[in-house]
Amino acid sequence: MEILNIKDLSFTYPLAASPALRDISFSVNEGEFIALCGATGSGKSTLLRMLKPELSPLGEKSGSISFKARPIDTAKPSETGFVMQDPDHQIVTDKVWHELAFGLENMGMPHSAIARKTAEMASYFGIEDKFESSISELSGGQKQLINLAAVMVTEPELLILDEPTAQLDPITASELINTVKKINRDLSLTVIIAEHRLEEVIPICDKLLVIENGTVLAFGKPEDVLKQLYGYSEIMCGMPAAARISALLGENECALSVTQGRELVRKYGNEKELPENKSDNNSKRNAALAFRDVYFRYERTAPDILKGSSFEVYENEIFCILGGNGSGKTTALSCASGILRPYSGNIYVFGKKIRDYKNQSLYNECLALLPQDIMTVFLRNTVREELDDAGADISSLPFDLTPHLGKHPYDLSGGERQLAALAKVLALKPKLLLLDEPTKGLDAAAKQRIISLLRKLTADGMTIVTVTHDVEFAAECADRCALFFRGEIVSTAPPDEFFSENSFYTTAASRITRGHFRRAVTAQKAAELCKLNGLKEACV
Amino acid sequence: MRGFRELNPAVIAVYYLCVIGTAMFIMHPVIITLSLVGAVTLYITIDKKRKAGLHISFFLLFLILAVINPIWYHNGVTVLFVVNDSPITLEALLYGVFAAAMIISVLYRFRTFSMIMTADKLMYIFGKLSPKISLILSMALRYIPLMRKQTEKVRSTQKALGIYRGDNIADTLKGEIRIFSIMATWSLENGIITADSMEARGYGAQRRTSFSLFRLKVSDAVFLVLCLIPTAIVITAAVMGETDMTYYPALSAVTASPPALASYISYGILSFLPSILEWKEVLRWKYLISKI
Repeated sequence: MEILNIKDLSFTYPLAASPALRDISFSVNEGEFIALCGATGSGKSTLLRMLKPELSPLGEKSGSISFKARPIDTAKPSETGFVMQDPDHQIVTDKVWHELAFGLENMGMPHSAIARKTAEMASYFGIEDKFESSISELSGGQKQLINLAAVMVTEPELLILDEPTAQLDPITASELINTVKKINRDLSLTVIIAEHRLEEVIPICDKLLVIENGTVLAFGKPEDVLKQLYGYSEIMCGMPAAARISALLGENECALSVTQGRELVRKYGNEKELPENKSDNNSKRNAALAFRDVYFRYERTAPDILKGSSFEVYENEIFCILGGNGSGKTTALSCASGILRPYSGNIYVFGKKIRDYKNQSLYNECLALLPQDIMTVFLRNTVREELDDAGADISSLPFDLTPHLGKHPYDLSGGERQLAALAKVLALKPKLLLLDEPTKGLDAAAKQRIISLLRKLTADGMTIVTVTHDVEFAAECADRCALFFRGEIVSTAPPDEFFSENSFYTTAASRITRGHFRRAVTAQKAAELCKLNGLKEACV
Repeated sequence: MRGFRELNPAVIAVYYLCVIGTAMFIMHPVIITLSLVGAVTLYITIDKKRKAGLHISFFLLFLILAVINPIWYHNGVTVLFVVNDSPITLEALLYGVFAAAMIISVLYRFRTFSMIMTADKLMYIFGKLSPKISLILSMALRYIPLMRKQTEKVRSTQKALGIYRGDNIADTLKGEIRIFSIMATWSLENGIITADSMEARGYGAQRRTSFSLFRLKVSDAVFLVLCLIPTAIVITAAVMGETDMTYYPALSAVTASPPALASYISYGILSFLPSILEWKEVLRWKYLISKI
């Protein structure tokens, strides 16, 4: 049964020169799981907001949207649910139970009905033990789960999610997506989800909607849509590794999941290997940052967060620290930047103990830290003021910020914001740059830009240490990767070796090629190996 | 019946209104003594930390309050001694002691009130009065820790960038002003998201109800009766003038008429009711454990 029908929808924001959406037409059946993708600024959010009358932006609208064969404007707030990106600010009240009850209170439901429904939701989402907790005690993933539950409590018939996992780490993100899929399956609820994390979403979605510059580029079954998009590298770079390998090889059938990807690469021979680019890693290199038996805890009675952690970062390299939540990665970075002080052990920055840097000299053309929450970098009303304050020379930046100079930093998109923050940091001319989750919330294209920028900076003599959850990013950009576990580094290796030895904590490309190719940790390399070896004779 | 602390917050509020209201307007030695002893007993029963600090400071306050009255007022027929040509009278001293005891008993009551009435219980009561106020309070309670955390984050980011934290005060001050101004922007910016989220979930679409986890149970009703009947008796006796007490110029005798006696007993029940409920819970557990 058709639940949503959009016909020739166009929309222009007031005072905008060109429309944000143009001639969009598609229809959705009840119980379908639709993934919506497109680059930042392609009109994804605008389209999703048009489907939720309370959130529809003001502007010039033409065409029609019908929901259950009625115009969408007649839909009640409880009929469509909307989950946004930011886990914190969607939450209205201070307690979990109150948040679950909020939507029902708004419907004017009696006490007994609210009690029953909130209880039902809490047990369905497995948050019974958190029912009376304060929101401030919860993690980001739990908050987003509360947001989902708080929307589901009014029993919507259409669930819209606008990048719900952008602020989450990969493990909680995949849990959330699985929960959404479970609701979709259990209740035959129609779901439309905009996502950057397509590796998870594409294999489970029924249909894929790709939009570009406000128009529908393709809509249909994911394998068919992806086949049409083989040529669009901007969009393909965010797709699952299996699909990227298919695209690079120009396969007739586009593989989506790891399983399909494995089938695909097995059709190719595996005798030849790519020439290893032996770098002179063994020659003695100077350490830009060194930890020697560093112990840290937040309070005297609290457990150790860093437990005798020791490692070295060499000059001119990109060093990626990976690891789960609460393993102490971010704490290590804060210690390295001098914000936190370890109670035992030493940290050396360019061979000098960190506590011997007096009077801000540590931050003076030496070291800078970009935190995870990039909003905290900005203090002024425009990007230009921000850069002037820091004394940045706009013309010498390795990227172009001129179109954004007059904007408020908060109005930039995630990728632009990251670049603006980097520009502010680069003005301080650091030799050692510490980055905490630089790819959080970025789309694939923005990620590629950050990777090439980091490469350029190291080529110019900078040393970069980044803490990240993003294995794909680490595989493409790092010189060396390290796994942080329970307060110390347990293994360090170049990405090829690091990810091909791990079997769970690794890239999708590595999972696809495991046991077949050696050291193919990126889709690019996997495809190159396939081409080099050619199809097996039986498959020709 | 449950312990006093587990009762419905509205019932607890009514109890405090009764017990404090009557104690404050009846300056009768027996009532005030019962009130003070009852208040202190409840505090000791529910205070888990068992610290003497509060008792000592309240005792000192009691002494000061008790002494002030005879120093300033020289009414009364029984002169104890004369200081600087001013007589210190027994009547004024007793009046001071009982007034101080009344104030201290009310302070102990407030103390236990704030221990029992946590933020969500208070919000429930406000919600009964006005659902809007309760929602605003709930949003504020959510927002304040969030904003504090963000401010702390901004501060440490700016420190690691080393831009404003200079060695001079002017630079530090400039940085603090900038942080304050960006936090205002941040609040407005995120307020829009909150408003969107509220609207998306149907806020303002129709008349709301106010949900809470507390419900009126039979035990609440029983407690309410146990609390209101003694209060009614005490008030009736007071209105009849049975518990009137004259301090100046000479002390009147403490009346022992049946209405007066009924009023003492009633106030005793009222004053000790919470402590009795709490003890009963402790005993019940001890009994249950001994059975096992």
